Amino acid sequence: MTQTKQLVHRVIIKATIQQVWDALTNEGEVLPFFFGSVMHTTGLKPGAQLRMRTPNGKYTGVVGEILEYDPPYRFSHTFRFTNFNDPPCKVTYVLKEVDGGVEFTLISDDVPCGTKTESQMAQGGGFITKVLKSMVETGRPSLGYRLLLMLIRVMPSPAVCKTENWPLDRPL
Amino acid sequence: MDAVFLALSHQTRRKILDIVQSMPGSSVADVTKYFDGISRIAVLKHLDVLEAAGLIVSQKVGRRRELFFNAVPIQMIYDRWTTDYSRFWATRALDLKYMIEQQVKNTKP
Repeated sequence: MTQTKQLVHRVIIKATIQQVWDALTNEGEVLPFFFGSVMHTTGLKPGAQLRMRTPNGKYTGVVGEILEYDPPYRFSHTFRFTNFNDPPCKVTYVLKEVDGGVEFTLISDDVPCGTKTESQMAQGGGFITKVLKSMVETGRPSLGYRLLLMLIRVMPSPAVCKTENWPLDRPL
Repeated sequence: MDAVFLALSHQTRRKILDIVQSMPGSSVADVTKYFDGISRIAVLKHLDVLEAAGLIVSQKVGRRRELFFNAVPIQMIYDRWTTDYSRFWATRALDLKYMIEQQVKNTKP
């Protein structure tokens, strides 16, 4: 059995809990904090299928199933990169109102150790936390990140990521 | 940011971060094992300082307290004083330092 680990990223965001929640669960629009992907689901509720696709819909980078959907406090889904042959892990976003804003925690569970998924999750978690904070607080991500997003967008995706391989109406 | 620098200003607390980073989900007892002559009470006090700074996130699982390293406060320090330009050259300078120091280490008998 593969060893797994849990990773945690936490930040205080100066905004209302609803603003953070809306930015996090915005379906059908480009999510800068999620590497410029667009979230597609079969409904924001437990058991629904979830896909993270490029804005033109041609490629699907992440696939999963929604496990928990408890607005505006908790959102959790399984998570697998389509281009790595690693077992799925689980991502949970926890929002809590605190003095001065919202405590945002991103928890990645069951991350398979020593895999590409692990290094992506370790880097990605920091990225998502940071860009979401900057987006909600200032209205948009910082310049450096907008440039990085443009770079990601022009990078070619492998054929395995093509959306026709990952339709919403076919459960994982 | 004061809380982060205060937390990082102590050798034991930096060592605790090393331990928790390499073993996410460690318990207080796991961390205490790494220190000779430092009591559990002292480790708990250090953990409180680290948690107040957001560098450690803990969660209760039954009676066990699991500890996780949170890199975000350090990333915020980095973002404040680093630009894409300085990152490029600072990385090159550090790569050179690590490479040369490794070579020096390897040539020692």
